[in-house]
Amino acid sequence: MLHILQMLLGAIETPGSFRVKPPYPKSIPPRIKPRGKAADVKPGTPLPGPQLGFVTTPDDLLVEDTGMPSRIDKAFSWDAPISAHGLMHMVITNAAKGDPYSIDTLFMYMANMSWNSSMNVPAVIDHLTAKDEATGEYKIPRIIYSDAYFSEMVPYADLILPDTTYLERWDCISLLDRPISDADGPADAIRHPVVQPDRDVRGFQDVLIDLGWRVGLQAFTKPDGSRKFPGGYPDYIVNHERGPGVGPLAGWRGKDGESFGKGEPNPKQLERYIANGGFHHHELAPEQRYMKFANRAYMEWAHAKGFLESTDRLVMQLYCEPLQRFRLAAEGHGAVTPPETHRHRIKTYFDPLPFWYEPFEEKAIDLNEFPMHAITQRPMHMYHSWGSQNAWLRQITAANRLFMSRGTAAEMQIVDDDWVWITSHQGRVKAQVKLMEGVNPETVWTWNAIGKRSGAWGLDKDAPEATRRFLLNHLIGELLPEREGGYRFSNSDPITGQAAWYDLRVRIEKADGEPPGTSPRFEPLTPPKGVGRSGR
Amino acid sequence: MTALPLATEKKLGLVIDLDTCVGCQACVTSCKEWNTGGYSAPLSDEQPYGADPHGAWLNRVHSYEAGDGAKGRTVHFPRSCLHCETPACVTVCPTGASYKRGEDGIVLVNPDTCIGCKLCSWACPYGAREYDYTDGIMKKCTLCIDRIYNETLSPEDRQPACVRACPTGARHFGDLGDKESAVSKLVAARGGYDLLPELGFKPTNKYLPPRPRKVEATTRAAPTEAISASDGSPAERLFAWVDKVLSA
Ligand code: SF4
Ligand code: SF4
Repeated sequence: MLHILQMLLGAIETPGSFRVKPPYPKSIPPRIKPRGKAADVKPGTPLPGPQLGFVTTPDDLLVEDTGMPSRIDKAFSWDAPISAHGLMHMVITNAAKGDPYSIDTLFMYMANMSWNSSMNVPAVIDHLTAKDEATGEYKIPRIIYSDAYFSEMVPYADLILPDTTYLERWDCISLLDRPISDADGPADAIRHPVVQPDRDVRGFQDVLIDLGWRVGLQAFTKPDGSRKFPGGYPDYIVNHERGPGVGPLAGWRGKDGESFGKGEPNPKQLERYIANGGFHHHELAPEQRYMKFANRAYMEWAHAKGFLESTDRLVMQLYCEPLQRFRLAAEGHGAVTPPETHRHRIKTYFDPLPFWYEPFEEKAIDLNEFPMHAITQRPMHMYHSWGSQNAWLRQITAANRLFMSRGTAAEMQIVDDDWVWITSHQGRVKAQVKLMEGVNPETVWTWNAIGKRSGAWGLDKDAPEATRRFLLNHLIGELLPEREGGYRFSNSDPITGQAAWYDLRVRIEKADGEPPGTSPRFEPLTPPKGVGRSGR
Repeated sequence: MTALPLATEKKLGLVIDLDTCVGCQACVTSCKEWNTGGYSAPLSDEQPYGADPHGAWLNRVHSYEAGDGAKGRTVHFPRSCLHCETPACVTVCPTGASYKRGEDGIVLVNPDTCIGCKLCSWACPYGAREYDYTDGIMKKCTLCIDRIYNETLSPEDRQPACVRACPTGARHFGDLGDKESAVSKLVAARGGYDLLPELGFKPTNKYLPPRPRKVEATTRAAPTEAISASDGSPAERLFAWVDKVLSA
């Protein structure tokens, strides 16, 4: 909605307005389609293209002939057709329920799905340990997980691949992914090891490259069968080419290291990055910096560097044609049409013009019973910090309170430091209140991802992260109530599949006459032998 | 007790903009990172993974709310030594460990002669002194003396770590004794002020006040009528919607 307003006001890529960081803008929508149709899936071979992409017509969907989802997360199905990021938050629930099918192995990397990355944490924990009554076998028989820490997900894994920390490994913050560019020019960066690991661990990228070769993937194997990247991830960063001359890092390419964007691999590329402080920034010429979607000087340059497929001006869409194609399909046009169960939903929400509608959760519950909104955000100092429990950051924030408007609290006779129950249609958690002025009277909020399960992350069992913390995740349902026919949609955006974290409605009640302390607590975790900090 | 220099050649210090500080704690952690390996090393941590983690930090940021209701605002307040001109933290020191430098006005603690008596932390009204429980001595902001004169660093890095780290440019470093310096001009232009001037410590560091709001926040208006789904043409609906949005 914000971007639509900016478009209407002409406040995109003009001085002082919303600006785009190269390699963006890209063609709208980008021309990458998700692969994974039946014809794409051939045992023993990789998919012919990326598993995520941009669906623009019903023909692009990854659905079976019956209209049911092909992917375990139901991305790019009629449930969430334009889910460019996938629906990671649904994988465990779907796998345990065998909907759309069961799986034998779940392989995950650094995703705390049994804790603060899932909705409805207690149910997800149940799914991870649920057994098939007939066979006695786990519903998700094998879980492989890689993490640098003893996170809440580790105890549920059958096989752990211990990862390095950021200080011990190579990383690449690439223009092909989510780089560090600013609006005046593209920039990318690396991490490089500054300490050697003192334990038996391996960087996960090295592990993937090794596994890729072991299972014989072409991208990781030379024609003679030997490893294509014997030097592991740093070798891959320098030598992998996605297209001719285009690799993970754009700076100092070419044999002499003098090319930007396109050029042969430069064996000394990483040294150049390190000498420059770990990053490369290309500054655009002044005439290339604005109106990049229709700026000849910028577009010709971006085309030459491989950022743009052509120099045709990019047209922003107020009227969103791809959405209309789905709506037409729901009306029965075209070869691929939604199953009866999804028709109404697609027709309603795939409106080519933006509109407001009542969030699904609000529609399904009694708002008198749950009158408040509840939201979370991550503290700035812990943003993108997987190791947020580290010795310094936890001195800044180790516990979280429920922030509440002073006026609203007064009406409920709640004062600072009171303990309250936060109740949603899904469950309830107990928290300690901190009153403030700068919050909407009908909204409560808290810091996200401060809370840890007792015993996890190498913290003492009585750490504030375990005793004076709570998560709102327990209150958020991962599935919407049953529709006619018994089908339960994911609690996600009907178009993009984005998890509906912010649709949560709650009521607040004083926890009178109860001992202080947050609730629920979960059974403390015990680290496996040999895991934990030495010298304490 | 310890004497102060009669005058200092320079008055090096910080100017901190309370209007643009967003409370991100980047200055706090980069200060700790530099100084736990620098002049004040180590900056110890007690119970780093336990029930009551605490440690020595030379710069902390506290967030406050000021004003009620729609007039309220959040202010993030970075707190570190102000390198006062006449600070009691120096004069109370029984060993001479706490001292103010004549050449640039920086207030330092000599770790070799500090006996950890904590008199200076009682004397400082700004809470800027930090007792290191492991080391048993007092620590404080050094204005990164091991950066600002360090010729092995590139010129742009010869500033305090906190100033280098701040993503919003809310922290400025310079000579506040020189009326022509960029920091002095900034203080003059923005009405920079001293903390607790009535105590007579004459802080060198200055704070720039939050700018007044251009538009006062309004309380939430009653919802206007819902945008009805017209059954007119898409163009008609677009214009109706644009009109609604722009006239709201
Ligand atoms: S702020 Fe406190 S520690 Fe720093 S010079 Fe002033 S009195 Fe001394
Ligand atoms: S780094 Fe800058 S914005 Fe962040 S807390 Fe410090 S002064 Fe404020």
